[in-house]
Amino acid sequence: MAKKLSLVVMMLMVAATMLLAGCGGGEKKAEKKADAPKDGKKIVVYTSMKEVLIKGIVDGFKKANPGIEVDYQSAGAGKLMAKIAAERQSGKILADVIWTSEVPDFYKMKKEGILATYKSPVMKEVLNPFDDYDGSFAAARLGTLGIIINTDKIKEAPTQWSDLMKPEFKNGFAVANPALSGTAYMSIALLTKQFGPEYFVDLKSNGARVGKGSGQVIDDTASGELAACLGVDYITNAKIAKGAHLKVCYPPELLMVPSPVAIFKDTQQLDAAQKFVDYLLGAEAQQMVANQGTIPVREDVKIDPKFGLPSPKEALEKGIKVNYHDIIDSKEKIVKDFTELMQVKK
Amino acid sequence: MAKNTIKKDSGFGVAQLILLISIAILVIFVAWPVLLILFNAFFVEGKFNSFDFYNVLTEPETFQALKNSFVIACMTTVGSVIVGTFFAWLVTRTDLPYKTFMKSLFLVPFMLPSFIGALAWKMLLSPHSGYINKMWMEMFNTTEPLFNIYSYAGIALVEVMYLFPFVFIQVCGALERMDPTLEESARISGAGLLTITRKITIPLVLPSIMSGALLIMLYSMAHFGTVAVLGIEQGIYNIPTLIYEKIHQSAGSFASIRTGTVLATVLIASAALIIWTQQKILSRGHYQIIGGKSFRPMELKLRGLRYPLLFFCLAYIGFTIVLPTVVIFLVGGVQTYGLSITDPANLSLDNYKYILFEYDVTRDAIFNSVTLGLAAAFITMFAGVMISYVIVKMKVRGKGILEFLGMLPFSVPGSVIALGVILAWSGAYGINIYNTVWIILVSYIARYMAFSLKANSAALEQVHDSLMEASRSCGASMWQSLKDIVIPLVKPGMISAFFLIFLPALRELTVSIMLYAPTTRTIGVAIYTLNEDGETVMSTALAGIALILIVLGQMLINHLTKKASE
Repeated sequence: MAKKLSLVVMMLMVAATMLLAGCGGGEKKAEKKADAPKDGKKIVVYTSMKEVLIKGIVDGFKKANPGIEVDYQSAGAGKLMAKIAAERQSGKILADVIWTSEVPDFYKMKKEGILATYKSPVMKEVLNPFDDYDGSFAAARLGTLGIIINTDKIKEAPTQWSDLMKPEFKNGFAVANPALSGTAYMSIALLTKQFGPEYFVDLKSNGARVGKGSGQVIDDTASGELAACLGVDYITNAKIAKGAHLKVCYPPELLMVPSPVAIFKDTQQLDAAQKFVDYLLGAEAQQMVANQGTIPVREDVKIDPKFGLPSPKEALEKGIKVNYHDIIDSKEKIVKDFTELMQVKK
Repeated sequence: MAKNTIKKDSGFGVAQLILLISIAILVIFVAWPVLLILFNAFFVEGKFNSFDFYNVLTEPETFQALKNSFVIACMTTVGSVIVGTFFAWLVTRTDLPYKTFMKSLFLVPFMLPSFIGALAWKMLLSPHSGYINKMWMEMFNTTEPLFNIYSYAGIALVEVMYLFPFVFIQVCGALERMDPTLEESARISGAGLLTITRKITIPLVLPSIMSGALLIMLYSMAHFGTVAVLGIEQGIYNIPTLIYEKIHQSAGSFASIRTGTVLATVLIASAALIIWTQQKILSRGHYQIIGGKSFRPMELKLRGLRYPLLFFCLAYIGFTIVLPTVVIFLVGGVQTYGLSITDPANLSLDNYKYILFEYDVTRDAIFNSVTLGLAAAFITMFAGVMISYVIVKMKVRGKGILEFLGMLPFSVPGSVIALGVILAWSGAYGINIYNTVWIILVSYIARYMAFSLKANSAALEQVHDSLMEASRSCGASMWQSLKDIVIPLVKPGMISAFFLIFLPALRELTVSIMLYAPTTRTIGVAIYTLNEDGETVMSTALAGIALILIVLGQMLINHLTKKASE
């Protein structure tokens, strides 16, 4: 008897715990659902822009559009796309807006029909690097990549891409992993287009290697772990502003990678998402883009000369040209070839 | 008489029900995900295909990861055995000064999450920018670093630093419990110290050493953090890091899930083998030789070595615990990575301020980790009591199944659980909790069930049936005797299960890194992703805050458990 009762009690305890957990879940979910339509709007932005850039823009947007909540996830483009793929399989993309620097991904998503078309009224004020613009996505930043040097280690700033074969860069240069970083992937595609695949073979023979994400190679250069890296403008400039011993060097063949923004077709918050895109392309957000040391898409925005950046128009002209359609399908091959060449798997 | 028959009838039903619930819990949380992994590893398009399993296994990338896991685990195990046994011997069998204090010091590494340790060592010993290496290169005017932490040896060293207590605790226990008369009789018979050590002490302690070593082996093979921080960039992948890469880089694609399941299968198999070996060793009966009674063991006089050895111990603690912690807090205060940490002009509290008050992720992460830890500890504690009760106390048909299932949580490593819950709970079988905090909770329950089962069954085994019977025969009601006898006796076990789960869950990384979504980062994930994003100083600032939380939590728990036991 005693045993029986103790059993019952324990069973009840477990059942109660489980119920509690279950109820908690139900409540929370219900709350969330009730939340969404009530105070109207909440959008989720997936972006490869780092905290320093995206946070200011999101805060500015929220201020300009009271009542719209914004959640964002900042991660490498590769990770975000993997996430979106997984979410699509489970039935629902959590994001409403995506803003990364991996242009081919956008052409791919457009082909797959998961992007909403939205021709923002602001578009007529901004520069458009895409000849086939149809409203599926628009560039919201013209990112550049330069040779980032640690000024303690490299005394003479490189002026040409071929300078990276010099002895001072031996075993000290890295490119971010193209599987993780959209900008790294794009710049590998651009440099291959410009100088041929031999360029990376030469780099490799000078001891260049693959790093991790686009942020980490720059941090490793700042610490002196690397002498130099191929790095993104604003991430480096943010660190320089904090006192890092870094310098961005631009060889004449400019690596310019537009960062497109797009809205997902399945969004429940089309209106809010469109407002976000409008804001992002507007003068206020573009000024923030410029202030972080990367190129905006508006000519009417001032870029501080200390960054050594070209104007948006110049960037469009000087940037290495590539047909994005050509590199959509070859992505996996480019990534694989590059990783196999550069990364010694132990 | 009548009572008796009633008991029999209704007892049967309730017992069966309880058994069924227990089995259901273990099946849903542990067995099913594991089965799904095995199924996905061996079945291609619904057909059994072991050839394909072999193919995936022999892909260079997969095979290399397997080899790396194995090599690192072996190095870590050997290192930990040497370090752990030596220190255990020092604090139990010699007249080292301040022994009890030293013993508690050697348990501190348990508190430090190893991936935070790895972060610190990255800053100290990365080949060109590690602070120690830089000092070395400046001092001797060389370009060759003193030690490259981005290597197998580096990874293994860091793991040893934070895992050796597994061996230390086991060996300490064995040495303390060992009957000193055995050694004394050998001495009386004329054996020298070496002979005694070789023929008496070592054979007696060996099972404990082995069992600690196997625990470390199992842990290290399936360990994510250290390899992720120190290995990935150099192309050193082990099983969990490769699974992580596969899942994150091409999530959802069949090939990557498959590689993941194959790797996980290998982990399950090795874990099973390790657990089996451990059981074999433990069942060889050393506990009969090492009595449960506490003896006062013979102490070796260290003489002139007493203080040098004490100094050595303190230096070891200073080097492995204090130095990394200090570096974490200092680098967390530097404006940007790469600036000198000895120049006060570079130091400020800005990063801590930013992380604590401006970085939204921090609040989320702390909230997630704490609530997840509490919920997992609470649920697992109760489920553990019930399951242990069935296993230890109940006589019911079909218990064998439960006993077998109860073994399972012990042998399923974290990364396997993460992959299993992805397969089980992301919509393929009706329920989709992927990307929510619930999937992390489910996996925590599975991951920590073993802890709860262990603590609770140990507590229950000590409650003799006669206690209940005695109270009943004195006229107490059943509820009364349960409330006054069983629960108070089991309570310490339950409490210790609760904390055994809550604290590790607070700093969990291996499982949550595979399962997090934008708003469901845990503390570990937040630190790791900041580091991965190249925000080294921010990640160390957060790591510093996490360390403070962990230490405070531990202190609170020590305080509470002391109170409870009084």
